[in-house]
Amino acid sequence: MTAPPPAPDPACAPPDPVTRRAARLVRWYPASWRARYGDEFTELLLAEFAERPRSWRRAADVARGGLVARLTGAGLTGHLREPSEQARAGLATAACSLAAFLIVGVAMWAQLAIGWEWAAPGAGAATAALVAMSAAAAFLAVLALLAAIPLTWSAARAFKTKTNKERPVRRSTLCALLGSGLVVIGSRHFANAWPGTGAHPALPHGFLPAGVAAFSWAGTLSVSSYWAHPGALAAFPAAEIAWMAVSPVAIVAAVVGVAGLVRRVGLSPRVLRYEAWLASAAAAAMAVFLAGACCWVLAEGSGPGLFHAGTIDIASLAVMMLALSTAQRATALARKSVLGPPPR
Amino acid sequence: MTAMAGNARRSAQEPDGLGRFGRYAGPATLILSSLAGGPKHGYALTKDVEEFAGVRLAPGTLYEALSRLEGQGLIEALESQDRRRPYRLTAAGALALRAHLDDQRRVADVGLRRLAGGWGTS
Repeated sequence: MTAPPPAPDPACAPPDPVTRRAARLVRWYPASWRARYGDEFTELLLAEFAERPRSWRRAADVARGGLVARLTGAGLTGHLREPSEQARAGLATAACSLAAFLIVGVAMWAQLAIGWEWAAPGAGAATAALVAMSAAAAFLAVLALLAAIPLTWSAARAFKTKTNKERPVRRSTLCALLGSGLVVIGSRHFANAWPGTGAHPALPHGFLPAGVAAFSWAGTLSVSSYWAHPGALAAFPAAEIAWMAVSPVAIVAAVVGVAGLVRRVGLSPRVLRYEAWLASAAAAAMAVFLAGACCWVLAEGSGPGLFHAGTIDIASLAVMMLALSTAQRATALARKSVLGPPPR
Repeated sequence: MTAMAGNARRSAQEPDGLGRFGRYAGPATLILSSLAGGPKHGYALTKDVEEFAGVRLAPGTLYEALSRLEGQGLIEALESQDRRRPYRLTAAGALALRAHLDDQRRVADVGLRRLAGGWGTS
């Protein structure tokens, strides 16, 4: 006589279709929310399914709730519990928005700067646009350096202590360093290899030093309308196409690393106030940059050569507007959380 | 400014009031009113609110309000043996609910009184 086979462990059994459907809906929510409410929310969904198996209104409500939870996690609703948590989330989102803004904005700016090296613009609008965008970009670079000082200091301390608690900080730091390092090295390589500017980096060859324009062009090479024209793209050198594919990954790695640092590194309330002040100044500079870009596209967009605005420039303007409004919202909420409620 | 308007404005600005919940003040009031009768988990809350208010809170709306109420300290989660976690009203939540309902009652009283006087019904 043989022993009966052991009963299957319910914990190891594959989930039934209804449970899988509930799990799919719960995935609308961010991981941190799922860790806190996931189990009980799944139970509620299962009870709802038993009562009403199908409801598009319920699915839409869960999707909307998940998106709101994600916006809350990004510091865009002001409903996070701790003021410092709200400030960190808002600042990290502001940093990501600034990065998205600069990726498309610098591509546009480099196009104008290189166009000037070939031939000075004939109209005042393009000149005013380039001046405004250059001043705003220089100001943003200074703000980025000032913002990086306390972050770098805290990250260096995390490497020095080497405790397990600081491991996420070290991981974010490495991610930021690797990503930004790759962007700098690749941009330098392709800027030097490109005959379009060719001048010594320190010598003014137009409105701006040629090396700065070429570096910015190479760093944002992936922001290109050539993606929509595969035939023309295929004529590019293979290394350049590879760089167009790799550079966005490197940029994203750098941005994710910086955002992770902002969220995880130990910053005092005073430093958070300082960073929030810098973020507000950055939002103002973004508005100036965007005003310059709009000035060029609207007033001189039909100009010759590189001063001609295409569909990609219109799309870039839309991305910059969205990034600016996101950065302003995140910054305002971060400032509010570190400065406290207004006096009554 | 009338006394009623002053009270309503004060309630909306109070740190413990429900005015700051904006469009979630409705679900928040329903949830707090339900929990005033004792601790409940999510599905029990949905059924109770449906019974006494005739409103069915959708799961996303319910948990959006629950997480905000918990974050504000107006409700708290209890330990549970299974995956359904019950919530209960805190003292701060009871105060906030009472203030909010008092304001609503004042508005309802005025509205009913004026209806009775000007529209000939009672």
